[in-house]
Amino acid sequence: MLSVTNLVKRRGDREVLKGVNLRVERGTVGVLIGGSGSGKSTLIRCANGLEPFESGEVVVGDARLAAGNGGGREQQLCTLRRSVGTVFQQFNLFAHRTTLENVIEAPIYVLHKPRDEAIRQAELLLARVGLSDRLDALPHQLSGGQQQRVAIARALAMQPEVILFDEPTSSLDPKMTAEVLGVMTDLAKSGQTMLVATHAMSFARRVATNVHVLVDGFIVESGPPEQIFDCPTHPATRELLTSATFG
Amino acid sequence: MKSFRTGLAAAVALSVLLGLARDTGHAAGPPTKSFRWGADREGGGPYTYPDPNEPSRVIGFEVDLANALGRQMGREARLVLCGWDQILSDLDRGDIDLGLNGYEYTAQRARHYAASIPYYIYELGLSVREGSLIKSWADLRQPLKGRRPRVGVLGGSSADRFATAEYGATCEIVRFEGTVEAFKLIDIGQIDATVQDLPALEFYLNRLKRYPRLRIVDHPAQPGYYVLYARRSDDSLIDEVNVALRKLYEDGTLRQIYQKYGLWNAAQERLPEVWKHWPPADAAPEAGALTQIRAELPLFFRAAGVTVILAFLSMPLAVGIGLAIAIIRAWPSAVLGGSGAPPTIAGRLLRGTTTLYVEIVRGTPLAFQLFVVYFVLPDLGVTISAFWSGVLALAVNYSAYEAEIMRLGIQSIPVGQMEAALSLGMSRPLAIRRIILPQAVRTVIPATANDFIALYKDTAVCSVIAVEELSKQYSVAAKSTGLFLHMAIVASVLYLAMSWPLSLLAAWLERRLNGKGLS
Repeated sequence: MLSVTNLVKRRGDREVLKGVNLRVERGTVGVLIGGSGSGKSTLIRCANGLEPFESGEVVVGDARLAAGNGGGREQQLCTLRRSVGTVFQQFNLFAHRTTLENVIEAPIYVLHKPRDEAIRQAELLLARVGLSDRLDALPHQLSGGQQQRVAIARALAMQPEVILFDEPTSSLDPKMTAEVLGVMTDLAKSGQTMLVATHAMSFARRVATNVHVLVDGFIVESGPPEQIFDCPTHPATRELLTSATFG
Repeated sequence: MKSFRTGLAAAVALSVLLGLARDTGHAAGPPTKSFRWGADREGGGPYTYPDPNEPSRVIGFEVDLANALGRQMGREARLVLCGWDQILSDLDRGDIDLGLNGYEYTAQRARHYAASIPYYIYELGLSVREGSLIKSWADLRQPLKGRRPRVGVLGGSSADRFATAEYGATCEIVRFEGTVEAFKLIDIGQIDATVQDLPALEFYLNRLKRYPRLRIVDHPAQPGYYVLYARRSDDSLIDEVNVALRKLYEDGTLRQIYQKYGLWNAAQERLPEVWKHWPPADAAPEAGALTQIRAELPLFFRAAGVTVILAFLSMPLAVGIGLAIAIIRAWPSAVLGGSGAPPTIAGRLLRGTTTLYVEIVRGTPLAFQLFVVYFVLPDLGVTISAFWSGVLALAVNYSAYEAEIMRLGIQSIPVGQMEAALSLGMSRPLAIRRIILPQAVRTVIPATANDFIALYKDTAVCSVIAVEELSKQYSVAAKSTGLFLHMAIVASVLYLAMSWPLSLLAAWLERRLNGKGLS
């Protein structure tokens, strides 16, 4: 479903990702863990084309994104983003639009769905994330957890093949973290393909199909959660797990 | 070319308001051994004008006349340069003692100022471009190619009063603050004809031959008298002038001077006859200030309407152009979805052009841009009416400021908004239109509202190309009635009545946006 092959990303002289290989199969959940600055966010941003990379490629279904920043990229990005949704650490809800408008914007203007149909679908999705009573609220009237749940509904409205989560709970307090992780768990159970960059280890253990450990721009270890959490083989993984909190 | 008269007029009005009026001037008084006479060297030849061979020197038949008068009176004649339309108010202010600059005798002026006997009998002439369908005064009474003929005059002059009274119903009277603008505009086809004092027409068209395609047509009309004016309290000075004038006529000096400038004609032989019956009977009793203001009010309201239309047409244009420029300039930035890819040559050229545009427009005065649009574009084959020239110049001028405001507005939007839009599969143009601009525009509303108030007042600059907006109406009304203070108050009240609600609106928008905060 989602495959990242030999992806290299440089920022100036520094190599942030040094040849990353990663696969997320259809209907599974990949969880990306790693210390701050290990490159988790960068990997997510390269995977949806928000940042160009120097070599390697990203493939999602039929869509392929090549390295570089040359011609043809716009077209590649357009195709890729139809199948990839993204949920950001800072939610990034459209500040001038209500909850409902945030969710129907792209279905109407990108997929050209009739407005009625987009609204019906949005109401269902917002019910699913528990926000049926806040349809007309503006983002600044919502709590962080509520905003992130709207953002998830907004991504789902495009019916993406895979959703990328870029540290979705890092700006939230524990109570709001729990409500967002709850929604994500339900999503995983329904068979949504997801790649989640996170520090939430207990979520990774419960929900992940595969856990990928990113250290200094390399995936040092990949495998089912039991294997990674119970008998890590790489010293960097062990170090990461001892310092991590299992909230 | 005469610019910024409006500002001057406002300053004059202000000084009148501050009570610096005639008394102070009087206290300064005329010196015993000299007199200061006021004239406008931009008023043009043959009256008082810069020597073409030595522009810092001022020559003209009035210079010679003033010096001859000075010699007769045993005083030194000192020339004080002032704006032609300011000469009477400069008398009031005490900056000059005599106005001597092609000012015709009117009963109205004679009520407020001491007038001398005439020093010249002039007539009004009609001038058009060769081949024009206008061949006589009578042609001004009918449409020209289906529209009203446009007739240029010196605002507030006898030609203005004559043309307005005789042909105002069938012609569009375009009022200028100098004489030469009309020649230039006939030459480039902006206006169809000009009515001017014959000496000026003959000087420019027959003597200097500066506008070879212009012709004087039909016989001269409406004789009038040039006189000197002084403050009412200075009538002894006028008595001295009258004595000196008669002497100069008798000893032939006057004739010599006029012959030198090609101005002597049979009409001048009538001067002594005219002097015998001077001053002419004042037919119409003076109307009270209130009556005159009431008569002017409809014109003021009409002019205020023009001001409003100017502002409301040019501001949306300015915002539109500014927005386009802002997007072009901010295109590579992340908030508009720029990917950090090296810019293409076309992109760099386009951005370079907009930068140049903004810098040039911000670095030159609005009045100058107005002149370029109105006087220079016709030379390049683009002729735009005065009104639309005003709209265009205001739009261009303010677009540069709007571009910067919009660019700051765009860059104040968090990059995450764009990233979220792109991640949902939106194209850059769609994301800009649906997500970035609506938020950016909202943040710049207060700044733009303030700019709108500024633009609204800057419409006054359009008076220099004779657009009949509020400040033009003020200057015409003040000059024709002499009621500078009253007319200034009327104009100010109208300006204020329109700009105050705008200020309140801007303040309200700012409060609302600050209070609520976005995101």
